[in-house]
Amino acid sequence: MNSDSRITKVQELVYEIRVRDVMKDDVVTVSPQTPMSKLQDILREKRISGAPVVDQDGLAGIISIDDFIRWLAEREEDCPISEKMTSDVQTLYADEPLIHAVNKFEQYGFGRFAVIDRQDKRLRGIITKGDIIEGLLKKLEIDYHKEETQNERIQRFFEDIYADRIALFFQYNVAGQDFKRAGESSSRLKATLGRLGLHPQVIRRVAIATYEAEMNLIIYADGGRIRVRVEPHQILVKVEDSGPGIPDIEKALQPGYSTAPDWVRELGFGAGMGLNNISNCADRMNLRSTVGKGTHLSIYISVENGAKSETN
Amino acid sequence: MKLKDIERILEAEVIVGKELLAKEVKMVCGCDLMSDVLSFAKSESLLLTGLTNPQVVRTAEMADLQAICFVRGKKPEQETIDMAEDKDIPLLVTPIPMFESCGRLYQAGLPGCSEYKK
Amino acid sequence: MKLTELIEKLNLGVRSSKADLEREVTGGYASDLLSDVLANGKEGNIWVTLQVHHNIVAVASMKDLAGIILVNGREPEQETIEKAEAEKIVIMVTELPTFELVGRLYGLGVTGMK
Repeated sequence: MNSDSRITKVQELVYEIRVRDVMKDDVVTVSPQTPMSKLQDILREKRISGAPVVDQDGLAGIISIDDFIRWLAEREEDCPISEKMTSDVQTLYADEPLIHAVNKFEQYGFGRFAVIDRQDKRLRGIITKGDIIEGLLKKLEIDYHKEETQNERIQRFFEDIYADRIALFFQYNVAGQDFKRAGESSSRLKATLGRLGLHPQVIRRVAIATYEAEMNLIIYADGGRIRVRVEPHQILVKVEDSGPGIPDIEKALQPGYSTAPDWVRELGFGAGMGLNNISNCADRMNLRSTVGKGTHLSIYISVENGAKSETN
Repeated sequence: MKLKDIERILEAEVIVGKELLAKEVKMVCGCDLMSDVLSFAKSESLLLTGLTNPQVVRTAEMADLQAICFVRGKKPEQETIDMAEDKDIPLLVTPIPMFESCGRLYQAGLPGCSEYKK
Repeated sequence: MKLTELIEKLNLGVRSSKADLEREVTGGYASDLLSDVLANGKEGNIWVTLQVHHNIVAVASMKDLAGIILVNGREPEQETIEKAEAEKIVIMVTELPTFELVGRLYGLGVTGMK
């Protein structure tokens, strides 16, 4: 996204986003009877610079730190907030577009506006200039992220390379027995695929399948290695170990079949669903194992199919 | 429903992510077996679980879950907290057991992963 | 609430019924960790779990639970069914995941705070 299109985006957003989307709805309010002398403590404690004044009928006014300073400077007697507040309050409706809020801030020069419901006129929240900026930035970030993934950054990267076959290769070495650190390789792989800009659902599939395989390396095989090949059309995750091997592959693939020790089960793994999960995430899976020699698992995930839906 | 509503309904303590309580939770998965979480929890779910080891956070990371709430007052170990902070995954602890937690959130209108419609 | 009412209202499958289906359910416990249920399950609780291992019957029997509901379409192992019939523990099944099932049980008045 270049800077011009970003500005256009902000222009669109101020019409699209509603006041309620960016306002703060957990508002600190004060009562009209609260003495002015108490105001300083309330503002300081809640780290705010003003608050709506609310009685049983709804919004009665608004009081700010400026009103407090004025009262202090005039060295007047203590009095209820109702005497010093602005009672002719300018408000915004929760369902108004943000552009109305922007205009009102400019027109009146206030630091904040109370937000009320269009129907029942009750206080719904409060909005400051800071909330508007924060709300816009958040929305931009989300849209930016979405746009990035939609553009499939990696596809553009691959298009810039002239070759008959292109692949990226990553290798992760997994240490055995270290249950607490288990999943680190999968986590690093997931972050890497994210940076490459692959579709989030493809990344999720690869991450879940690799994580299950990594857990198996740690629980059953005293570690091993994970090799990943990323091509424009598919991702191949190869998981290899020199562990004890699987005596009966058919049985191992049955949901719920497990040879995991109890300590693994009490940690929430080893319930016999791991290989099943991997196969659900994969377009194709290949498991070869020799007792006493080790196990080789190949997981193929298609970029096109992976993006279509969540695994479940 | 926002995380801060979950905090209120489950009388929970927020261990990680006090600044993330505006995050939206779309649905809930209550489960102690991580492979099952990985297979049926959808992204943007809240995970309720009785397990507190770091693999619970890893599972949430891999499956793009929104937040984790530990049930029955079980405080997570330090490694779990560190990892959640690193990955920006909110952690809550409720004193309420799993059954009651599920019941209350369901009553409050949250769907399960099998019921959620986009 | 009696077991028979729950079975009917939630359309539960029954896999081992040599038990007292008129038994009153006093509350619910949901957990997939046997040690947790051993420590915290209460007499008369209905137990909601993903575990199908035959040890679930031993746990239910030891804690005098009212019955076990297996969720997510899980089916008990043959050995589990045999043990359940011997111990007179009722095992029920549902396609629903834990959260959805517990939500419905809760709606019928089975709670988890007792």
